[in-house]
Amino acid sequence: MSERCFHCAEPIEDGVRLLARIGVQDCAVCCIGCQAAAEWINGLGLHDYYRLRDTPAITATALQNYAAWDRPQLQRLYVRHGANGVDEICVLVEGLRCSACSWLIERALRDVQGVTDVAVNAAAKRLTLNWRPDTIALSAILLRLARLGYVPHPLDATALDAVARNEQRLALKRLLVAGLGMMQSMMYAIALYAGAFEGMNPETRDFFRWLGLLVTTPVILYAGVPFFAGAWREWRARTLGMNTPVAAAVALVYVASVIETIAHGANVYFDSASMFIFLLLGARYIEMHARFRAADVADALARLQPALAQRRLESGALEMVGVHELNANDVVVVDAGAAIPADGILLSTRCSVDESLLTGEADPRLHLLGDALIAGSVARSGPIELRVQQIGAETVLSSIVRLVTRAQQQRPHWAHIGDRFATVFVSAVLGLTLVTAAVWLIVDPSRAFAAALAVLVVSCPCAFALSVPAALTRAMALLARSGVLVLKPDALEKLVRADHFVFDKTGTLTSRQLELTCVIPFGRLTINECLDIAAQLECGNAHPFALAIRNAPTWTVTNRATKLQQLAGLGVEGEIDGKTFRLGRSGFAAGLCGSDPDLLEDGVLLADRVGPLARFVFREQLRDDAAAVIASLHGEGITTEIVSGDATAQVENVAARIAVDSYRSRMSPSEKLDRLRTLRGEGRIVAMVGDGVNDAPVLAGADVAIALGDGALLAQSSADIVLASNRLGALVDARILAKSTLRILRQNLIWAFVYNLGTIPLAALGFVPPWLAAIGMSTSSLFVVINAMRIGPPARKSRGEIPIVAKPRELVTT
Amino acid sequence: MNIILVLIPLSLILLVAAVWAFFWSVNHAQFDDLETPALMPLSEDPLPPQNAEDPP
Repeated sequence: MSERCFHCAEPIEDGVRLLARIGVQDCAVCCIGCQAAAEWINGLGLHDYYRLRDTPAITATALQNYAAWDRPQLQRLYVRHGANGVDEICVLVEGLRCSACSWLIERALRDVQGVTDVAVNAAAKRLTLNWRPDTIALSAILLRLARLGYVPHPLDATALDAVARNEQRLALKRLLVAGLGMMQSMMYAIALYAGAFEGMNPETRDFFRWLGLLVTTPVILYAGVPFFAGAWREWRARTLGMNTPVAAAVALVYVASVIETIAHGANVYFDSASMFIFLLLGARYIEMHARFRAADVADALARLQPALAQRRLESGALEMVGVHELNANDVVVVDAGAAIPADGILLSTRCSVDESLLTGEADPRLHLLGDALIAGSVARSGPIELRVQQIGAETVLSSIVRLVTRAQQQRPHWAHIGDRFATVFVSAVLGLTLVTAAVWLIVDPSRAFAAALAVLVVSCPCAFALSVPAALTRAMALLARSGVLVLKPDALEKLVRADHFVFDKTGTLTSRQLELTCVIPFGRLTINECLDIAAQLECGNAHPFALAIRNAPTWTVTNRATKLQQLAGLGVEGEIDGKTFRLGRSGFAAGLCGSDPDLLEDGVLLADRVGPLARFVFREQLRDDAAAVIASLHGEGITTEIVSGDATAQVENVAARIAVDSYRSRMSPSEKLDRLRTLRGEGRIVAMVGDGVNDAPVLAGADVAIALGDGALLAQSSADIVLASNRLGALVDARILAKSTLRILRQNLIWAFVYNLGTIPLAALGFVPPWLAAIGMSTSSLFVVINAMRIGPPARKSRGEIPIVAKPRELVTT
Repeated sequence: MNIILVLIPLSLILLVAAVWAFFWSVNHAQFDDLETPALMPLSEDPLPPQNAEDPP
């Protein structure tokens, strides 16, 4: 129990004595698969991997057959045929978790004969492979990858990927052009400012102005394109967004400076224009980066539906085909542990299916002959056969995706309010500029242009436009570092203002594992003897009950059980020292001794031929920080609620253990959505924390939706905030940070407002020369940015370490 | 002051060269993944492959 596998860090079961030779020492591993993987990695001279990695490898599993990947029908979809007989494929790699993984994969595949290029992107979990099909088959390369413990999945998103990549590259280029242009034009501007004080002859001054024009023009015409294009789009759609004032201000300042340069006027403002563009582009770039990272995670939706299926031919033989090749009425065989490729009807007599992605229920559900199975759910027992009914876009999973998309479109866009405010402000300033110019034309025409320009520059919406993005990007970058991805910027404000938190239960407050709470013996054997028998019967079983029994602290004896037989949905039967035992649902276990079957309904029963021996009672394992998070929310006067699709007793149990204010059980997704609507109708601001595909539409209906990372990845695409660290406590950290962000934001806005209110009248009256206005504008923007940098990293004190070894629990007797 | 007539064009040439070099590197995928390469210097140089045997 105490020792952990060197390769995958799973606990090593007692009695397993496997060693893998790594470097000069022997390291204990948990299974033959891990031993092979570890020794193979060492044999390739790649044992540095174990030093570099920051997360353990996934447990090496039985190797799949990758021959289907060589089928032309599959390759046509996923493989690009390049020049010189080199093919390229992009695959999503399951188990690729950190940079060390990508290092390992690159090293291991690069030396393979026939592989021309390997590129691994750890952030996107992707592998781009170039190889010569006449030298090596794709399946051989993938088999090598699988031996390392990584499972490849075909990815049809290469086209989409290229679009995103180009967008990112273009944004980076624009940012750099703006940055370099800004630096150069500021250098020339400083020379000009110095000249204004120290005296400078007009030729030199004009020379520097032309230089400023030279370096600023590419910034405006190349880097500034997104703003002008955005303003054009807004103009055509007759809406007013942030792009319009930005584009108007930049264009006016630039054109005014060009006129001044040509006309030998008083002042130029090339530095202001390029700095404005650079700072805004920087904010946009960081935002885009965060968005793409989140999209990469959500992209793993591809994994929910398998790409391959085993089709049974009329002759009875099996053939591996791509899912898109399936037709209605095909018969498909699914192995235990594999995902079901299409919606269909079960042809086998019985099968337990893990539908937790769709229902959120932790227990696998038993299906009988003729039941409908849903694509994306996982067969726990097998192999099973099913008759295909719907594939692709017609499956239940796809329709849930559509539901999410529709719910997302119904969301109110609060961000527009801020934009509208800035737009009103800018139109007011533009009007004021015209009035100033008009009045000065009457009073003193020679000072009209300078005064109007001063008004425009001094009130340039920089501080306003920057105050929100500067603070938000700083906060988002900090949060991303601690594993909280903010997908929609206005979610931070909602997170702070939310006064009612709704939690889903399974996978959100509880982990998907069960824990053994008590063993109730019936007198013939002691607790430890019963546990010992149960543990031996459950050896090698992956059912949550079995894992909970094996994790109980008293199991020390090696495995002696024989004739083990697992009956899906019922339990397990086996012989120990010649005696037959059954462990499972009470009816099944009591059937062995012929006693009353409806003896007990809770937990599982252990029985031999004489009679029942003991009952095992389980409960869901709470997340470590669930109670702390609820307590911290209550401490701030926030009400909490559990809304779950599970049975009342289970929900009640969890609700009592973490002390939430209220709970509702047996809720369907539409009822959950109604509940949220009711709460919002009462004027509450509702935050919903959940996971699971069934939660996705519900999440979209809340004011702020928060998804946990280990749940169904689909839920993340409709969430505003994703806790990618899979730590509920991150929610509290995020709230603290969001609060300080809002405080800074408010300071920034007040500053921008006070500054503009104070300077515009002075500028309009002609007291502010335009160069001073430019300095004032830069200072106010700088103030806003520096103030945003004061947002500190979230407090780390609530970060609880996950205990490596389960704490010994008291076993209660009744 | 005449020195600026040399230095400023020089700086502009360097600027153009820097922008060109950056565009080249962006187009050649140097900035697509900013996380993986950070770990590369920590690893030792790969040993010449010692008869790598495939696992059973």
